[in-house]
Amino acid sequence: MRLGRLQQRKLRTGLLFISPWIMGFVLFLAYPVVYNFWLGLTRFSGFTTPVWVGLANYRAMLHDPLFWTSIYNTMYYVVLAVPIGVVVAILMALAMHQRVREVPIYRTALYLPAVAPVFALSLVFIWFLNPRYGLFNYLLTLVHLPAVNWLGDPTWTKLAMVMLAQLQAGQYALVFLAAIRAVPISLHEAAVLDGANGWQRFRNVTLPLITPVILYDIIIGLGLGLQIFVPAYIMTGGGPLNATMFNALYIYKNAFEYSRMGYAAAMSGTLFIINVVLAVLVFWSSRYWVHYEVT
Amino acid sequence: MRRLIPILLAVTLGGLAFAQTQLTFWVPSLMNTVERAAIQKAVDAFNSQNPDIVVNIQVVPGSETEATKLMTAVQSGTGPDIYYLDRFTVAQRAASGLLTDLTPYMQKEGVDLSSDYLPFAWAEVQFQGNVYGLPFDTDARALYYNKDMLQAAGVDPSQLDPMNGPISIDQLIQIADKVNKTDSTGAYTQLGFVPWLAQGWGYTWGFAYHGKFFDKATCQVTPTDPGVVAGYKFVYDWAKRLDPQKVQTFVNTYWEWPDKGDMPDSQRPFMTQHVAMTVQGNWYLSTLASVNPGFQWGVTYIPTPDKSKTSWSGGWSLVIPKGDKNPDAAYKFVRYMAGEQGQRFVVEGVQLFPTWKALLDDSSLYSGQLVFFKDLLPYSNSRPPLPVGALYWDHLATALQAMFLNSQTPEAALQAVHDAVQPQMATFCK
Repeated sequence: MRLGRLQQRKLRTGLLFISPWIMGFVLFLAYPVVYNFWLGLTRFSGFTTPVWVGLANYRAMLHDPLFWTSIYNTMYYVVLAVPIGVVVAILMALAMHQRVREVPIYRTALYLPAVAPVFALSLVFIWFLNPRYGLFNYLLTLVHLPAVNWLGDPTWTKLAMVMLAQLQAGQYALVFLAAIRAVPISLHEAAVLDGANGWQRFRNVTLPLITPVILYDIIIGLGLGLQIFVPAYIMTGGGPLNATMFNALYIYKNAFEYSRMGYAAAMSGTLFIINVVLAVLVFWSSRYWVHYEVT
Repeated sequence: MRRLIPILLAVTLGGLAFAQTQLTFWVPSLMNTVERAAIQKAVDAFNSQNPDIVVNIQVVPGSETEATKLMTAVQSGTGPDIYYLDRFTVAQRAASGLLTDLTPYMQKEGVDLSSDYLPFAWAEVQFQGNVYGLPFDTDARALYYNKDMLQAAGVDPSQLDPMNGPISIDQLIQIADKVNKTDSTGAYTQLGFVPWLAQGWGYTWGFAYHGKFFDKATCQVTPTDPGVVAGYKFVYDWAKRLDPQKVQTFVNTYWEWPDKGDMPDSQRPFMTQHVAMTVQGNWYLSTLASVNPGFQWGVTYIPTPDKSKTSWSGGWSLVIPKGDKNPDAAYKFVRYMAGEQGQRFVVEGVQLFPTWKALLDDSSLYSGQLVFFKDLLPYSNSRPPLPVGALYWDHLATALQAMFLNSQTPEAALQAVHDAVQPQMATFCK
């Protein structure tokens, strides 16, 4: 298709208008990603000239038990934290949606932890998780469950991080709240006339109509979850027994503590590909469960 | 004319200020306030002695093995002129190309400093025969004990008096077990000793059992050396005797884990009298003095199976990052700071030991318990200065976790350390 002169001029003007974004994208996103893949094919300490080693870093990765541990830990975290995050955010949004006078107070209280930096939450969480004096174990003993050594026992540490992630659910809850409020009231009225109860209305009216937001939450959560770093860095340093050695933390250690920048780049590239593949899978599956019809 | 004088003065002073070389000296945030004050004093003295150079201290995030801020700053051309680097990582940072080779500067100055420093410290600043930093302080580790807690448990603290020499591991077990207490649920509320707390690293117990961590002749890391395995087995058995889960719950209740130095000294279990004995360094003398925990304490040798004396020493160094814009002035400062004058400030201020040999011979600098630590130095070991030092450290630390959680045998855990570290080490072997 040939563009007319006017269209060409419009295209040029349009491109010119978005050129700051294009430059930003190329310089700070596309170029680093490509450069990172190139570095992954070299032996590079961070300062000396990179030496081409072909696929040696990828071969080393295959034989590095700690790399596989880090992938397992990351997947374990994502598989739990992301779906639980969606449920928690929807529950919070429903709570924020209640027609009571003091709802602004609830909204503020539920949203507040999302404003705090993760490292601050992590430090507070260490006290919540204290095996003898912590809040969580106190709650467990109230319902006659055994106390757990959250940060000291490799079995529980990842779950502690999954719980911590839920404190950040407030910001997704706001998006869900907007989606829930956008559901036409007439649909609810029609459902009531048909004799639907509260649960049925949520299940058959509200939930299908907020599936685009669920998709958004899963995609964002997936990207952030795969890059989980701060809580492990602050709370456990990757231990005990590498139980919280997430992939991003292992990449960081190789790059900045062990001077293996090339290997770290190869692992980053792998994580990038895993992220893209998972995101594509989620998008592909969305055609079966996301409803865009009425919003 | 009278009006001109102030103007001339201002111009001259301004010119002087302009001619001054401004140097940035980065110290990692891990350093405590007592150490920072001593270093500031030394820097102030240098600045007044050298009007043409002004050294400015900046505290940046960083720890023993982490120098991320330094790496990114140097790569972007905004690095400091001088950096305070954990000495056992010098070889690794030099290998990665982060540091300036100081050998040409020493040749230009016409000095051979090798005999001025303690040999182990001098060895730690070398990489492939060149010098990449100058050694700063050093230390030694020993066993601190709470006399009041021991007495309350029916133990005569005089058994631990260093006059009697080191106690054996068996004696340690006997003493420690008398102190252990549990509550009605069976959870520990106080323990005599937890070998892996504070300075109870894998290196500590490996050296206590005469372990060797590196074989220079074959260029092999040797975590499976029988001595190292025995040291790790000691930790494994200790946890097993007390029940690993129960001890770990105790540790996580009263101790910041992992220890990142964020927990105030006054809240640590030795200070709060939850643990009666702890392995710590000589710097802990000034910590105890500042916290003043309100109990009687003493310090003795780290227990060993054969009652031999043992310890290990680390310390810091001063390095010039690659690409520094004022290397000559920076070298002048490093020579001063790591030399007799600069080290004297730190020895006096922080109760650390110098690596400058002549200062060690000055007995006026050491008094009280510090003398005990100084006498330990001849028995002290040091970590092998390897270009994979940080990697080796991390893997040894993970293997130690496997010991106190009883999740692997010492042999299996240490074999895994070898398998992870040696391939990296091999890339530096000729």
